[in-house]
Amino acid sequence: MTSYQSRLGSGDGIAEELAEGQRAISIAEFFEKNKHMLGFDSGARGLVTAVKEAVDNSLDACEEAGILPDIYVELQDEGDYYRLIVEDNGPGITKEQIPKIFGKLLYGSRFHKREQARGQQGIGISAAVLYSQLTSGKPAKVTSRTQSRDEAQYFEVIVDTEENEPEISVEETTTWERPHGTRIELEMEANMRARQQLHDYITHTAVVNPHARIELKEPKAEFKYERATDQLPAETEEIRPHPHGVELGTLIKMGEETDSYSISGFVQEEFTRVGQKTADAIIDSFRDRHFGREMTWQTPQAHEDVAIEETVTEAVVNKGQEATADFADGVADTLTSHDRVAHHQVLEAVEAVGDEVQAEYGTTFGSTVRENAVEAAWGAITATRESDIYALVDEATTTRKDDAVVEAITERLAAKFEQGERHRVTRDDLRSFVDRAADMTEERDDATFGDTARENIVDALWETAALVPDDPPKIHDVAAERDTASELLDAMRAVDIMSPPTGCLAPITEDLVEKGLGKEYDADFFAAATRDASVHGGDPFIVEAGIAYGGDVESDGSAEVLRFANRVPLVYQRGACATTDVVKNINWRNYGLDQPGGSGVPNGPAVIMVHVASTNVPFTSESKDAIANVPEIEDEIELAIREAARELKSFLNKRRSMRQRREKQNKLATILPEMAQKLSGVTEREDLEIDNTMARIMNDVLVARERDGETVRLVVENNDDTNADPEITEIVDAEPAEVNGANVVEMDGEWFLKWSPTVSAGEQATLEYTLATDADPEVAVDGIEDEKLTVDA
Amino acid sequence: MSTDDTSDAREQLLSLANQFYEQFEDGTVPSMEVPTRTKTNIEYDEDSGVWVYGDRTSTRSANSVRGAQKLLKATYAIDFLARQLEEGRSSTLRELYYLSESWDLDEAQFSSQDESNQLIEDLEIVSGVTREDFHMRPEESGATVMGPLEIREQTRRGEREIHCQEDVGEGGYQIPNNPDTIEFLDNDADFVLAVETGGMRDRLVENGFDEEYNALVVHLKGQPARATRRLTKRLHDELDLPVVVFTDGDPWSYRIYGSVAYGSIKSAHLSEYLATPEAQYVGIRPEDIVEYDLPTDPLSDSDVNALESELEDPRFQTEFWTEQIELQLDIEKKSEQQSLAARGLDFVTDTYLPERLTEMGVL
Repeated sequence: MTSYQSRLGSGDGIAEELAEGQRAISIAEFFEKNKHMLGFDSGARGLVTAVKEAVDNSLDACEEAGILPDIYVELQDEGDYYRLIVEDNGPGITKEQIPKIFGKLLYGSRFHKREQARGQQGIGISAAVLYSQLTSGKPAKVTSRTQSRDEAQYFEVIVDTEENEPEISVEETTTWERPHGTRIELEMEANMRARQQLHDYITHTAVVNPHARIELKEPKAEFKYERATDQLPAETEEIRPHPHGVELGTLIKMGEETDSYSISGFVQEEFTRVGQKTADAIIDSFRDRHFGREMTWQTPQAHEDVAIEETVTEAVVNKGQEATADFADGVADTLTSHDRVAHHQVLEAVEAVGDEVQAEYGTTFGSTVRENAVEAAWGAITATRESDIYALVDEATTTRKDDAVVEAITERLAAKFEQGERHRVTRDDLRSFVDRAADMTEERDDATFGDTARENIVDALWETAALVPDDPPKIHDVAAERDTASELLDAMRAVDIMSPPTGCLAPITEDLVEKGLGKEYDADFFAAATRDASVHGGDPFIVEAGIAYGGDVESDGSAEVLRFANRVPLVYQRGACATTDVVKNINWRNYGLDQPGGSGVPNGPAVIMVHVASTNVPFTSESKDAIANVPEIEDEIELAIREAARELKSFLNKRRSMRQRREKQNKLATILPEMAQKLSGVTEREDLEIDNTMARIMNDVLVARERDGETVRLVVENNDDTNADPEITEIVDAEPAEVNGANVVEMDGEWFLKWSPTVSAGEQATLEYTLATDADPEVAVDGIEDEKLTVDA
Repeated sequence: MSTDDTSDAREQLLSLANQFYEQFEDGTVPSMEVPTRTKTNIEYDEDSGVWVYGDRTSTRSANSVRGAQKLLKATYAIDFLARQLEEGRSSTLRELYYLSESWDLDEAQFSSQDESNQLIEDLEIVSGVTREDFHMRPEESGATVMGPLEIREQTRRGEREIHCQEDVGEGGYQIPNNPDTIEFLDNDADFVLAVETGGMRDRLVENGFDEEYNALVVHLKGQPARATRRLTKRLHDELDLPVVVFTDGDPWSYRIYGSVAYGSIKSAHLSEYLATPEAQYVGIRPEDIVEYDLPTDPLSDSDVNALESELEDPRFQTEFWTEQIELQLDIEKKSEQQSLAARGLDFVTDTYLPERLTEMGVL
């Protein structure tokens, strides 16, 4: 920024001199000097970042156009340089946009949108172009073909780092075999030392984008990642900010720029999830803060000494006896119909009754009379405020406070509400009244009022105070006054408002998280959890977690943690990421994983995946490598992981018990037959059949067939201690009869009889039907784990 | 060794096998029930005056791998024993353990001799037949008798008539594994003196205690084998001789007396056949340690534990034992039989035993 400090000094030659050396630097120039912030700090990393930016852009472009992405990445070794080629089948970019998208930093369609997208600032791809240009001196070569065009556009672009403007060195039409799409070719000083990160990035991208097909060609190797689903991510829509997520500065700016007139209109127009009801709640809450509330007092009843009617009558002079009596009577009636009244209600009553009486008697009840009447009535009502406060304080404090103390504080509190005032207070005012009264009472009367007691008294008083009817100021006035704007912000935050709509977010969804993991990891078990949307700073976000376990997953060392933000893999700065912190702080031993020392990333053949989708993912830096430690996001990450981990736990438990069961079964399967055989030998009796005994020992579900002439009985015996719901299908090669409720389907001369009995623990069910004696049935049982099933048929 | 016994024992084993067979046949889980063999499950039998198993039982069931394995081993053992009986042969407990190594199925093999011994005990209990009738012998215990007694023993090489003083050497007559093969012919004995240690037995024999007092000196050799206990019982029952037990003055030795007099926990099913409830305890009593001021050793922790456990042992719930054990816990000392030598080599035969035996009314 230019400085004019020298004006204060004597000579003005220095100022000019300094000013000459000072000039605005272009953003491109800034990033040229700070390329590490964008992830281009080394040749190894630069290559990964360039691939990442180009692929992210391609995926976004395809999805926006509703096209299943088909992305080709190629790296060519050019000696000291690498050539990076990224092609997609996206909608293509119009001729006018090409140079700007690739050649100008901060140009993008998303920066001002509240919508989930991979890129946000429009820095990434142009930074890659810039990096290539700085290291190789070569321009970026861009080919693009839009769906409607017969031919493609070819450009060579460089960034003018001083002006942040693209410069097009070559522009021509060309032919391209893709019907539509974009291809960018960058040459840069780079090396393949970060090959592992590159592969991680591509693999993880494939996991988190199961709808994409990706191909990676390296100088000496080629990898293909097929798509696992044809389902594109749900289309996202842009949303307005959420009232819980704006900051004061933003709110003031929005207030200044809005076309709305009232606060109500403003909050309904400019924010999401605010309708009339919520707007009213916000305004009530704003009134409480801006105007405060009016204390209400119990209305004296007619028989009491200072009845309203009498004092009002006294206050009215020269209005005729009948009119005065009617007026006083009317005011008194209106007010005593409420248990408690506030000052504004007295005003209303006097106004309404005054108008009535005035119309009826033709006598003018002018403002002086009315004011006198209000004062008189309010005086009568507030005369009893001490006993009012006593009742409230007594109710709000514990019974252990003795009467004298309650009376003492009551007296002091009542004194804060002066005779003749409107008794209008904010909650903060009330608290300071109570604090002062309590402090005094503590000092003078040897009592103690703890924080809870004070707060209870404040609550009791605030509860009885009435909302004021004053009209809130106009929104432009609110925006003009910083304190008022702050009151509005507080008011918005205090009101319960529905979470922002999630249409702006496209979670991968549990099913596809599992599919994505299943595509790249050959594991035994997959679990996924997609949380409901939540809000941080007015931006909705959704956290998803997935776990893959066992199978071919690398079992040495610690589990692999995959981090994603808006479907983009985060491969660097693992240690700085909120995701990693959360994973490390979970007690994985609870979920059956090995965790040396009880904290840290667990060990074993596991992949833990976390995806944070938001209209604005808070990153720790511009290079978007790590998610910042935002408590709301961390909480959701933890809940998502725990949800998936619970499934993992039950899988592991089950697997363990199944393994023990299998071991037992294997052991018994050698022991018992031997024993049976030995017994037959010793007793010289015939060989034994031991399946039933085995089934009973293993708590198995035993399905046995008995045939008695034409009657076939399938006996289902449940030896387990929980209900069994087997699906039993008997396949026979002759037509069965008297099938007793079985569902029978005939197919190519075979009959399928299907039963789905529920057999309670320790019970048995008999399924009976009739079949020709020479027919040959065959049974299939589903719905019971193999380990727990014994079929003797 | 009558044919009757053999076929009866075989019959009993086969009926157990048949029980398992039928359990399999019915599709139920094979199992057998045996009394729990712990000190909390033995009770005094008023009629016989010995300690027998109580009502608590343990089930050996094929429900678990362990249980199934036990039953498998039992089946193999039954098969082996049935065959042995059929062939009129016998074997030792240790041989059974080693023999299992030859069984083709690893799961059927015994992992220790304790296991095979326990299994034989199980079979004895369930079938009601003693292991002697299964023709299972323990290892040679080498226990001996010395005294004025003439017996006839049926050996594999014919009958032998032996006088247990005149026909034997210094070592005495060796008790065979199955003392029921002995027939008592004649005796001049006044009482039976069962001695724990070899050293003391030799001292008594050298000093001619058996001759002078007409005593049958039975060497227990530590915890007495079944055969020794059986013979002692027979000497008492058939020859009407009082039995006294002479051991060291420590908790382990009291248990030796206990198993002679009351029956042991592990073979409580055979108490009626093995125990001599009338047997009396001579010493060394904790009282003697004090009275004779014998050389002592301090009680070790395991001694103290053993004494405390004996205080809870139903077999030792008598006034005499409670008093003696509590005294010993109090003085925290124990003494060996041979500590009597501190008062001279003849002290035991000239003074201690005559005094004690007179006191007890045996002499």
